[in-house]
Amino acid sequence: MTEETVLREDQQEIELEPVGAVKAEGQSVRVTRRTFLSGLGATGLMVTAPLAASASATTANGAAAATAGKTHVVLKVNGEEHDLGMLDSRATLLDTLRERLYLTGTKKGCDHGQCGACTVHVDGRRVNSCLTLAAMAAGKDVTTIEGLGIPTRMHPMQAAFVEHDAYQCGYCTSGQIMSAVALMKEPIGESDGEIKEAMAGNICRCGAYPNILAAVKQVRGQMKNS
Amino acid sequence: MTVSTTGTAPETMTGATAEAAGAAASQHGIIGRPVARIDGPLKTTGTAEYAGDFHLPWMAFAVPVQATVGKGTIRSLDVTAAEAVPGVLAVLHRGNMERLYRAVPNDPNATVSETRPAFEDDRIYYWGQYVALVVAESLEQATAAAAVVKAEYAAETPEVSRELEPFAGKWNTVSTRGTVDAAFAAAAVKVDQTYGTPAETHNPIELHATVAVWDGDRVTFYESTQGVVNHRNAMAQILGVPRENVTVVTKFLGSGFGGKLFPWPHCALAAVASRKLQRPVKLVVTRTMMFSNVGHRPVTEQRFRIGASADGKLVALRQDALNHTSLVDSFDEGCGEATGYLYSVPNLTVASALVGRNVGSPMAMRGPGAVPGLFAMESAMDELAVALKMDPVELRLKNDATVDESNGRKFSSRHLRECLETGSAKFGWKQRTPQVGSMRRDGKVLGWGMAAASWGAYRFACATTVDLNADGKARVRCATQDVGTGLYTIFAQVLAEKTGLPFERIEVLLGDSSMPEGPLSGGSWSTATVLPAVAEAADGAIASLLSIAASTPGTPLAGADAKTLRMTEGRVHRATESAGLPSAGVPFEAVLQAARLNGVSADGRSGSVFEDPKARDLSMHSFGAQFAEVEWEPEIARLRVSRVVTVIDAGRIINPRAGANQIRGAVVMGVGMALLEETVYDRRNGQPINGNLADYLMATSADAPEIDVTFLDYPDFALNSYGARGIGEIGLAGVAPAIASAVYHATGVRVRKLPIRIEDLMQA
Repeated sequence: MTEETVLREDQQEIELEPVGAVKAEGQSVRVTRRTFLSGLGATGLMVTAPLAASASATTANGAAAATAGKTHVVLKVNGEEHDLGMLDSRATLLDTLRERLYLTGTKKGCDHGQCGACTVHVDGRRVNSCLTLAAMAAGKDVTTIEGLGIPTRMHPMQAAFVEHDAYQCGYCTSGQIMSAVALMKEPIGESDGEIKEAMAGNICRCGAYPNILAAVKQVRGQMKNS
Repeated sequence: MTVSTTGTAPETMTGATAEAAGAAASQHGIIGRPVARIDGPLKTTGTAEYAGDFHLPWMAFAVPVQATVGKGTIRSLDVTAAEAVPGVLAVLHRGNMERLYRAVPNDPNATVSETRPAFEDDRIYYWGQYVALVVAESLEQATAAAAVVKAEYAAETPEVSRELEPFAGKWNTVSTRGTVDAAFAAAAVKVDQTYGTPAETHNPIELHATVAVWDGDRVTFYESTQGVVNHRNAMAQILGVPRENVTVVTKFLGSGFGGKLFPWPHCALAAVASRKLQRPVKLVVTRTMMFSNVGHRPVTEQRFRIGASADGKLVALRQDALNHTSLVDSFDEGCGEATGYLYSVPNLTVASALVGRNVGSPMAMRGPGAVPGLFAMESAMDELAVALKMDPVELRLKNDATVDESNGRKFSSRHLRECLETGSAKFGWKQRTPQVGSMRRDGKVLGWGMAAASWGAYRFACATTVDLNADGKARVRCATQDVGTGLYTIFAQVLAEKTGLPFERIEVLLGDSSMPEGPLSGGSWSTATVLPAVAEAADGAIASLLSIAASTPGTPLAGADAKTLRMTEGRVHRATESAGLPSAGVPFEAVLQAARLNGVSADGRSGSVFEDPKARDLSMHSFGAQFAEVEWEPEIARLRVSRVVTVIDAGRIINPRAGANQIRGAVVMGVGMALLEETVYDRRNGQPINGNLADYLMATSADAPEIDVTFLDYPDFALNSYGARGIGEIGLAGVAPAIASAVYHATGVRVRKLPIRIEDLMQA
């Protein structure tokens, strides 16, 4: 685990203390999402795939999940450090933002990484916060919709969404905007089709896609011209 | 977006001209102007509060436990392990929870979605039914504990088949005229086919959520509901408390599409848990539960028989429509919604029947009845056009109705013909060659199809209060809710028009059941319902203000006849003075301050259209035409919807910007209905086997075609003084059959059972 490994695109680097080991001063361990999850074993997997409380779930695994431990977590969100104390290891970044830090702008739409409503930035990249354990985000820069702008001082993307009526009910909107902002730094081509593909992970059941596309194109154009 | 200027109301500004004039300070003409929705800054910054966003001190989290069989009886329920999970506060189930009452059957003001309250008996009627509820200090603890509740069932095999025939039960005649069977038998050209639509799940991205909190014997719900008043009334009955003790708050709704019209069993569960623990309780259903416990559009199977003369005049139309329902409720989809009046045909019968299935109760989903009904009827019309070798637009025009033949009433306003002609011109329909596979572009086969659309127009009772305050603000209150499409802005536009105040000085307060009672957000009737009530309240408040201005010593208007005073651009002035001049009159708040008043208020009320003598003898509907283009690449079996042209006749459009957005969104949903959406039930245990957003496919941005929306602009003054009808559902009507017809045109394969799958087209 201490060897330098090349991360794949779907892997993230996080710094964690190895379980049961004492970390020496200045030493850090590189853990990928995969090794982190496998290190947690069955307990961790229970968390990432909560089976909606089906009554037939195996008692042994469930009991293990129920007694899972706690982890000291300090999160840096929108530039501010939050010491969450001993946090339930099973807590996702999404639930931690919403239920413990009361940053409810980030929404839960599926809890399975399938709808994009919970999209936040971790070190500038868009991630599904429902698929990210809070502990995995420790030591990283987390940005939520609240960190982009406020009603009286909106981020250009937020303003463009208002200008183009790029939402209806507004529930998926935070995720759409976080994706759209992250997309600005991604290697995505010029065509409408490429933007539409790049935004396809964020479902809008109201179907405001044409207006979302218009808003994203406008901000991309501004950025190129500035 | 384009706004047609072919309407008959010259006073209505079109989108283009209004946008140019939009920067002007005057609020005159704000009705019909494409103004930005007032809640945009809240929705784009994460500031808008949805039900699940509410957090209260000492709040506990509830997670329901779902049955894992689709039919049977609970034999035993072991909650020992769950209760032992750290942080668990209670595990509620049939054995230990106080009984919930049922809501009064057929009470139109206290409707529930599933009449059987949770835990009422030990029977399992559908997979996922709640069998227990875990409440814990944290969501993680509640989720983990819910997973170790151990239920044993005497399981039986559930009936969840999508096939509804053969059906031997009782049919109900919905509508009939002439002698349809004889006329069909004698018809020169006939179509006799059966069409099917699948179970579709509403799937708003906002999960249903309830935060319940008791204060003594009073309970407040922060709720995801399309009807705060109905929700309050139903909860009072179910919990057995006076209506006055229940408050329901829905500030923002992450849409509903019908699924959130009425309470579901989890709402009362949250309240019961909160009452027992004397703590606020939050219950957010999971996406899995969204597929089983909070409604869906039911499976339909519709046999259509259409007979015509050789020159294309309809002589017989018969629709026999089945839809599935749950075993605890009788939900009639009403597939004959638009059948009786859309076309002129002397012999017609619409019949329907229900087929019980082990599924959760169905619930109205965007355009209930009309949307699946029109898929079948408009597909059959396309098949008839093919059989007649007649252009499908021409067939519709030839059979356009001049009166509602289902009841003999005049239409209040019907412009289907113009929708068809305008759509045809904008789409370029004349260039269509009718032979299958005869059109190509960039190496792809093109298919062009079209369909007509319709949806009813309604207005229900509504009360509002308008305040003009000494702080210089106007405020309107109504216990209705913005389902997400723009009702906040509609209220603000009316108040701005009446007072001349800019939006910054207008407050719209909705989504609280303690305010004057407003409508459910359903049936596309919110706008038509609230407009007259807001206008009346605003007029009343202004009249009160003017009377005070005339009688308050010390203002420049003292002693004037109140009838000669006006309120314009926020100022009170004499009618003889030019409105808008800074010198004219005084700011309205100065009048109130001089009179030492906090403000003036007035109530506005409007009644239901069914009690309106001017309206009740008319047939009121919106109409539309959908034109769709598909691209088909047979080499790789790739089908895309590339272009849709939509023309809508929905009366006056109060906000064409939000309106067009709503229609475009409905078209996107129609693409999903045509090609992607189906809830599939596992025949072994009744589980929605694709009950997640990766396997239940909905249209994404990559699936959205180019969409051109045109509104005809014919105000329907029989419905209300603004002439507005409503646009929530009609945009979805007709999209799927237009796409299915385009697919036939491209491939020669007629798909009569949605969704259209690639497998269906492999025979092409």
